[in-house]
Amino acid sequence: MNANSGGPSSKSKAGSLQPSETSFKRKRGVFQKELQHMMYGFGDDPNPLPESVALVEDIIVEYVTDLVHKAQDTGSKRGKLSVEDFLYLIRKDTPKLNRCTELLSMNEELKQARKVFESDEEKLRKVFEADEES
Amino acid sequence: MDPFEVAFEDVEDFLPDSPTTGPGHIDNENQFLTPSNLLTSPAPTISIGTNASIGYNEDEDEEEEEDNVDLNIRNIALRDDPDKTAKTRAILSQFTGEQMERFEFFRRSRFKKSEMRKMLLTITGMRTVSEPMVVVVSATAKMFVGDIVETARTVMTERKESGPIRPCHIREAYRRLKLEGKVPRRSVRKLF
Repeated sequence: MNANSGGPSSKSKAGSLQPSETSFKRKRGVFQKELQHMMYGFGDDPNPLPESVALVEDIIVEYVTDLVHKAQDTGSKRGKLSVEDFLYLIRKDTPKLNRCTELLSMNEELKQARKVFESDEEKLRKVFEADEES
Repeated sequence: MDPFEVAFEDVEDFLPDSPTTGPGHIDNENQFLTPSNLLTSPAPTISIGTNASIGYNEDEDEEEEEDNVDLNIRNIALRDDPDKTAKTRAILSQFTGEQMERFEFFRRSRFKKSEMRKMLLTITGMRTVSEPMVVVVSATAKMFVGDIVETARTVMTERKESGPIRPCHIREAYRRLKLEGKVPRRSVRKLF
């Protein structure tokens, strides 16, 4: 069985990414706990192997890094990096794209709901104060 | 805690009628309900409820300014799609205990927002990272984990292996995902 995937960091120890890739030095197992739960949820054993979790973490860090760099490549043409740059990158992956747009709209809804809540609270407080003065 | 992907609170209310599959078998063939399908189903409506921390997520509470939101499984009114709601509830009602538990972890697990934000700040070099960006990157990364795990399981099935997923399966899964174009690669090719 070929143990070398040929990928840049799938066999490297955590933290030893190529210097040209990123200067991100990270502690081992930053996402370990969450990843264990996630892997179980997606089909792994209730107790995934630690080496598997570590490998997936390495892969994910690289994934996010490359994703961000690619987004910056497209974003730099317009200036700042924005969410749209990420959505553009995953446009061909329909499930991911749908999920992200769904989350974004929920995020927006929640923001609005909180705004209304806060302004209601403020009104109530003012009514209170007016009452106390009278 | 991230309000969007909050787990179902009253899981106990949803006891399965009968186990449709043997223990330990996850029905990956079910077209309605592969994990990636379920993630893309229309959003359940949120009922803002009391502050109910779910056990293992408690350490996230301090970092979250938002109120904890209860998502009651009985209130799954998938937006504008009663048909899908009915299907989902029908499937969920037939889950075995193990399937339900796995499903719970599938829904509740997420990358810690603070850690993801830290990582994004380092990678981008920006001084702040917007909330939507953290949301999108976290969701995308989580689904990618799903891609890896599901593909790894497929590999194991082909090799007629069982048990926990091993790194060799993950490496093979990763290789296949690259071929599928699901792994972002910068256009500057490495020569060596």
